[in-house]
Parts: sequence; C-alpha cells; structure tokens
Amino acid sequence: MHLPPWFAYAIIVLVAWGIVGLLQKLSTNYISAESSLIWLVAGFLILQPLLYPGKVVFRYSTHNLVWALLSGVFNALGAWALFAAMKSGGQASIVSPLTALYPLVVVLIAPVVLRESVTLLQGIGVLCALAAVVLLST
Amino acid sequence: MTLPKTLRTRWFWYSLLCVLSWAAWALFSKMGSREIPAQTMQFLFALGTLPVALALLLARRFRLEQSSKGIAYAVANGILSGIGGLAFFAAFRSGGNASVITAATSLYPIMTVALAVSILRERLTWLQMVGLGFAAAAFVILSF
Repeated sequence: MHLPPWFAYAIIVLVAWGIVGLLQKLSTNYISAESSLIWLVAGFLILQPLLYPGKVVFRYSTHNLVWALLSGVFNALGAWALFAAMKSGGQASIVSPLTALYPLVVVLIAPVVLRESVTLLQGIGVLCALAAVVLLST
Repeated sequence: MTLPKTLRTRWFWYSLLCVLSWAAWALFSKMGSREIPAQTMQFLFALGTLPVALALLLARRFRLEQSSKGIAYAVANGILSGIGGLAFFAAFRSGGNASVITAATSLYPIMTVALAVSILRERLTWLQMVGLGFAAAAFVILSF
C-alpha cells in the first residue's frame, strides 16, 4: 500500500497533540485555562533555540514570513476564544464539538484561496473526519 | 435552546471566533509552508503566539497560580505541542492538500480519548465509540 508523503507526519501530529489534549486536562486540574495557555507558550520558547533558523530567514519572501507569524497569532487567538466561550457560559459538550469544526471552514475556503481541488473520495474522508471529531469531543 | 436565543449568547460568538481563527491558522500554515521549511515555520509560529500570551498575562496583571504541577504539565504541553507543530508544518510542506491534512490532523482527540480511557480510566460514551469508527474510516479513506 502506497501512503501519501504527508501521512507519517500526520500520525506524529496525532500522537503529540493527542497527549497534549490529555496533559491539558491534567494541567487545568491545577491552574486556569488561561494560565495553562501562557505556560504552554513558555514551553514553545524552550524549543526556540533548537529551531532558530539564523540569517537564512531573511531570504524567504516577506509575505510567507507574515503568513507563518499569523499562523501563530491565530492559533493562540483561537485557543483563547475557546476558553472565553467556556468561561462565558458555553457548555463543554456543545463548545468542544462546535469548535472542532474548523477543518470544515478550511475545506470551504481552500479551493478559493489556495486553488486546491478535493477528489470525491477525499471529500468523503474529510466528512468522516469531521463526524469523528464532533462525536469524539462530545 | 433555540437558534435566535443561541445567537444572543456570548459563548456562541467566542466559539465562532475560535473556529474562524483555527481555520486561518491552518490556511496560513499551508501558505507559509510552501516556501519555508517546517523548523523555521514552527520558530515563527511560536513568535506569533507570543503577543496573545502577553495580552493574557497583562489582562491577568501578571498574576499566575503557583502550582508547580499545573505549570509543569502546561510547559510539557508546549514542548509536545511544538513537536506536533513541526510535524504539522512538515505535512503541509510535503505537498499534500490543505483540506485533507487539516481534517486528518484534527483527529488528534482519538489519541486523547484512548489515553483518557487507558490512563485516567474514563469511560467511552457510545457516541464517542461511533466517533472512533468514523475516525478509522477517515484514516483509511484519506490514506489513498
């Protein structure tokens, strides 16, 4: 069976972020969700010296550098909005499955912004994934 | 709860902001990864999260709970999250489709649920079991 090149990376993501989900539960047993996010970013900073790209970073085009920075801004903003939703009376059983729907927005926007096309089979796979995350986060 | 009533709640709009922000995160990740390697993407991504963390710190007037256990879990979370992030950007860089990769990587609750069942001895609801079935189907289909 020939797996697509991104598949192995996706498995690493699932394992790492899956454990993150569990540690998140454990950390918020002791500290608030916001503090947990602040310390999580501190964890990112520990990795920074290992990832430091050096001067080569200035060779990349400015717009791609901006996309990379914005990717971080929006990820953290999304995490904050999730906590804010929970704090302002949203029930976890509704908010979690609802916020798990972000890939749906990507599926709707990617064909326009990135000029990507999704095959019928891939579309079915994406729908199964969406159903899975919504049900799993109940 | 009826829809008009839901639309007047703050949690709904925060949830919507979360969905849109995370969609933007995935799209920008794909766009940047076309030129920038995963390691540098994760470096820049982490810089991008700093302003939000600082804003939260300011809003809390730099007061954080003193729980070494809570802090240790959260910092470990950041390190693991960063390692996952490296793989996330590498997946985008390998040329795959943003829709497919975002959907596949959003399945990480499978692992959380599996760990919660085995380590925290939480019980699976029947809905979550159906969810696991869908996740398995998604994986097989997307792997083609």
